[in-house]
Amino acid sequence: MECSFFIPIRRDANLSDGDLHSAEVWEWLDDELYAHFEGRTIAPGLYEGFYQDPGTKQRVSDQSRQYIVAVKTSALDQLRSLLAQACVRFHQKCIYLSVADQVEFIEADDHEPNESPS
Amino acid sequence: MNRTKAHLDLKGQPISLEGLDAEELQLVKDLAEHAEAHPDWNEFSNFWMARVGGFYAARGLSRQATQQTAAYRIGSDLASRLAIRAGLARPPDYRDELENLIHTRFRTRREFCEATGISEDMLSHVLAKRKHLAINTLVEALERIGYTLHIAPMAD
Repeated sequence: MECSFFIPIRRDANLSDGDLHSAEVWEWLDDELYAHFEGRTIAPGLYEGFYQDPGTKQRVSDQSRQYIVAVKTSALDQLRSLLAQACVRFHQKCIYLSVADQVEFIEADDHEPNESPS
Repeated sequence: MNRTKAHLDLKGQPISLEGLDAEELQLVKDLAEHAEAHPDWNEFSNFWMARVGGFYAARGLSRQATQQTAAYRIGSDLASRLAIRAGLARPPDYRDELENLIHTRFRTRREFCEATGISEDMLSHVLAKRKHLAINTLVEALERIGYTLHIAPMAD
């Protein structure tokens, strides 16, 4: 099954600091995708997007990388679980996932390690 | 790549090229040349993983074993360097390493704080890059969980 998801190149500015991710976090994602799904394809360029932040009601613009992964139906939950971890690692409230053209928003299982700066 | 047959990664850690056979050395050379000729981060990311994965799959290595190879780690490091050069990622610092340690070794920040003696409030400021930990505080905290600091050469 073809799955694609978007990872913004910056941390969420409301949840976190809006900074670029450390190169190490991108390496972590590559390692996980290679280990569990035998790899991935990254679409050329960056995708510009915007959405309304449900917390602040503000319009938020972002730039994202699009990842495309071939996943067996039996392993879909494994991908969802990985993206829930990615929410924490990449400091995102949720991650847009498309599974065979059906859109889902994956949230972190536990936001505690990613809590907002006080 | 330097003349002591090691590639220094972004954290200044050497990835040894000793023991690689001629084909593996050629693979590493191909990666470096491709990164130089095609510095687009996404393009190189696709290239290195497919090239290294295909190379070691043909040798019958598992994906876990492939991830331990010098070629895999160098491919990953070269991609990171391109991302930083393009202004699309930043070099890791000790706070990223602390955060990574929390994610991999502890269930929560609170658990990490209890184990190290760092206050949750201080940790929150440090990870948000508003404050630094004093070096003796960091050393003592890390010692409590069996870790230590290293001084490493800066990446190119």
